[in-house]
Amino acid sequence: MKIIKKAVTYLLFLCFTFINAQEKYTLSGIISNINSNETLIGVNIIFPELQTGTTTNEYGFYSITIPEGNYNIQVSYLGFNTISETISLSENKVINYQLTEATETLDEIIIIENVEKLNIKKPQMSINSLSINTIKQIPVVLGEVDVIKSLTLLPGVSNAGEGASGFNVRGGAVDQNLILLDEATIFNSSHLFGLFSVFNPDAIKDLKLYKGGIPAKYGGRVSSVLDIYQKEGNSNEFHMNGGIGLISSRLLAEGPIKKEKGSFLFGGRSSYAHLFLPLFDLDNKAYFYDLNTKLSYKINANNNIYLSGYFGRDVFSIANSFKNSYGNTVLNFRWNHLFSDKLFSNLSLIYSDYDYDLELSFVEFDWQSGIRNFNVKYDFKHYINTNFKLEYGLNSIYYKFNPGEINPTTEDSGINPFKLTDKYAFENALYIDAEHKLSNKLAISYGFRLSSFLRLGQDELNVYENNNPVLFNKELQIYEKANPIETESFKRSDIIKSFANLEPRISIAYQVNDNSSIKTSYNRMSQYLHLISNTSSPTPLDVWTPSGKYVKPQLLDQFALGYFKTFNNNTFSMEIESFYKTIKNRIDYIDGADLIANNTIEQVILNGEARAYGFELLLKKTEGNFNGWIAYTFSKSEQRTPGRTSTETGINNSKWYKTPYDKTHDVSVTASYKLNNKWSLNSNFLFQTGQPATFPNGQFEYNGITIPIYESRNSSRLPSYNRLDFSANYIPKPNSTKRWKSEWVFGIYNIYNRKNAASITFRENRNSGSNEALRLSIYGIIPSVTYNFKF
Amino acid sequence: MKKYFSIFLILISFNSCEDVIDLNLNTSNPRLVIDASINWIKGTTGNEQQIKLTLTAPYFDETVPPANGAQIIITDSDGNTFSFLEENNSGIYKSINFIPEINKSYTLQIIYNNETYTATETLKSVAPIDYVEQNNNGGFSGEETELKAYYTDPENEENYYFFEFKSDIVVIPSLEVYKDEFTNGNQIFGFYTEEDLKSGDQVTIRNYGVSKRFYEFMFVLLQQNSEDGGGPFETQPATVRGNCINQTNSDHYPLGYFRLSEVDELIYTVQ
Repeated sequence: MKIIKKAVTYLLFLCFTFINAQEKYTLSGIISNINSNETLIGVNIIFPELQTGTTTNEYGFYSITIPEGNYNIQVSYLGFNTISETISLSENKVINYQLTEATETLDEIIIIENVEKLNIKKPQMSINSLSINTIKQIPVVLGEVDVIKSLTLLPGVSNAGEGASGFNVRGGAVDQNLILLDEATIFNSSHLFGLFSVFNPDAIKDLKLYKGGIPAKYGGRVSSVLDIYQKEGNSNEFHMNGGIGLISSRLLAEGPIKKEKGSFLFGGRSSYAHLFLPLFDLDNKAYFYDLNTKLSYKINANNNIYLSGYFGRDVFSIANSFKNSYGNTVLNFRWNHLFSDKLFSNLSLIYSDYDYDLELSFVEFDWQSGIRNFNVKYDFKHYINTNFKLEYGLNSIYYKFNPGEINPTTEDSGINPFKLTDKYAFENALYIDAEHKLSNKLAISYGFRLSSFLRLGQDELNVYENNNPVLFNKELQIYEKANPIETESFKRSDIIKSFANLEPRISIAYQVNDNSSIKTSYNRMSQYLHLISNTSSPTPLDVWTPSGKYVKPQLLDQFALGYFKTFNNNTFSMEIESFYKTIKNRIDYIDGADLIANNTIEQVILNGEARAYGFELLLKKTEGNFNGWIAYTFSKSEQRTPGRTSTETGINNSKWYKTPYDKTHDVSVTASYKLNNKWSLNSNFLFQTGQPATFPNGQFEYNGITIPIYESRNSSRLPSYNRLDFSANYIPKPNSTKRWKSEWVFGIYNIYNRKNAASITFRENRNSGSNEALRLSIYGIIPSVTYNFKF
Repeated sequence: MKKYFSIFLILISFNSCEDVIDLNLNTSNPRLVIDASINWIKGTTGNEQQIKLTLTAPYFDETVPPANGAQIIITDSDGNTFSFLEENNSGIYKSINFIPEINKSYTLQIIYNNETYTATETLKSVAPIDYVEQNNNGGFSGEETELKAYYTDPENEENYYFFEFKSDIVVIPSLEVYKDEFTNGNQIFGFYTEEDLKSGDQVTIRNYGVSKRFYEFMFVLLQQNSEDGGGPFETQPATVRGNCINQTNSDHYPLGYFRLSEVDELIYTVQ
């Protein structure tokens, strides 16, 4: 208690020490794109004389308080021309700047920044950010621009192989990433089981991936935060853009509802490869679509409202025997309000759900599961003075989990209807985070998040002897399910179990000189939801389960240390980071756990732990016709589940074992060269240590079949992964003044046609009876062509 | 169910490929494998039974070696003992005077290499196969032959089933295990699909009554063996421990299972 009191006094002291005699005024406003009025995120506003500055927030708003006077102000943003002018400040002022896209000027001397610049001063570290323009240049399989695959080219981010869904950050699991689209949680980020990601690149304005030093504003997942904002839409004039690719086509329309006040955006993307399947006499379907919608309205200078929605769906069916459909739905209302030129607020009301439906007609049943949540966020950003900013707010989420429901599809089906018990939970958090510049050299951000999780009453909850749902059979040395001794029933308003965690976050940046700095950070995070999945990569039918009586919340502690440097007048930058993290209560599954349609999941789960550490290097060339980056990650990611008592074996004999996404070395080189106004060339090369795998070290025969005997978990590896891709962008008429603009993208994925193993499996050949090892490689060499247009 | 996703991956990604590769694997020390399956086929006396003992072998070996020279005795809960004698160093041990009885508990004792292995299990009854339904437009291609062997699950008890389909055209049998959690009291089927079945081929269908423990053992075992497994959706391989215990040295635990079942057998001729 004493410590908290001290901290508060200190905080108040800090707030006021900087208010000194000289008169100060606040300059604030919105920065947007001149053509579309689209607000811009992360624009730098710099006062060179004062050696100070600020950046715009997620809604394009900036605020800075400086002494009275005449100053030179520079407003700069990636891909836009810098505005440099003199302003005179003798009262509080609102100035809205509008920036012009750099590509639209014909001035050849202008220096174009093509890759995100490093900000060495801010305490925030461990961020991967990529502009949509950069993402669109990266060569991709089948020409499908993919936000998440692009992120895996940066250090610390990987996935469990081609065709695996989701992504892994710093040795964390896929379900440990918080994915936010316009502040709403997305539960499944993959289309077609992981071949493509769900984000339509045309509808996205900005994205940022936090790998560490995660601000207190975010919580609920322990590994990373991927924060994505959709465009608002052009409020000046009507525009359309789109693309025609091999797998999918896109079309996006935007325009004013009321000029300069309101805008709409409506974007759709759909795959159509399935249309060709009948040509090959295949009675199968596999397609996906996305819809991104947004309405924005500027009520007055101090109030903006937004209504946005995302609807995505995958449908996949084989003959008439199997139909599978799943997707996310997000609806979101937001209200931006300026309480003053120093206090910005955003209120979000969000509904989001994920549902999964499977119809197996040959066994005559239908399976449905899903998760649904209502989310309220109220966030404040308080620009107290140049050296001190506060962010604070609160967040409440109500969850309903439907772990599954089985219904017969025909009258004479042999399946009885069955409903797994619905689960309910309420997650609450409040946070405060300060960004504090102590001197010209030292900046700190610090804060905490107080999170709580209430598991609400459900219809049936099993009670076990000694509260132990998993028994250990000493004779056979295996874990077994316990039988419940009774079931309890609760009212929805009852609290079955509650958790609370204080999550401190701190980052420090020390500027060594004008172009280098050292940063360090620590963050603790908690995660109350778990994705129940014991496969190498999650599948769409995996269900989420809340923490409760038998499943504890995951707790993360992460430390990171980094060195950041820019060279040659900011043309080059280097980022070196190392991290160490531990996660408590990572769940693991007893051997042979059956997770599908399991109403008593607690009987097959044990609480274990995970740890990861690594070293990341990123070298970038950010300016000029030739630019790109080299990323290297060395890391280790492991988990273990020891026995609960000394007589138990634990899982994998209590030994640490590599996670399926552990990759010792991960190198990627991405380069882009602008040949002339018409052509630009892009290439990337990847090399990764092979994924961990478990191979047999023997066989035995039982009941006429051969069964492999496996070595301990993940103790072997697949062969290393490597690949070279190339793409060329061609703009036929770059200087055309016509409204219609177009571009061709030609690509070749995996140029040297390497058969990278996505998996090696073992089987008994059904005809010969001999054992064999089978390699699955997903993509060989793949050429592609895409046509993009806008008007 | 996860196998569908792997099949999907191959379908959608038109230039993905699967090929058989050479791989060097480690080899663990040999263990005793107990295939002690007492099958009482309906309508027979069940007096003649056999137990097969083998050893584990390197994964790519074509055969597994027999375990010779063991002493095997089964004792029932009334104290009757049945000896199993080895036939010509084959690793196959036979008894001709076994007395099966539904719901009776039996204990198996094996002495091999001076180590004693034991297991206890109950003989389970089974529901008969009512009829077989054939569909020639099944499977993923829509061209496979599907067989559904219907049986009626008794309503007032928890039942577990082990199905075996052996056709004369494929070397290895197709095995399935079922529980009645979602089908209690209904008429339901064991499922078999095979691409190359032709009219006139014979399929031997056996439905075995098994215990919950065997169901769980076989469930994991079949996951390990699944030829459709693999890909990113593969489950973690697991050690498959049956119900046999090495009483002398627990590190030398055996593999396999001691199962006693009533069996309904039906030989189906493909239409």
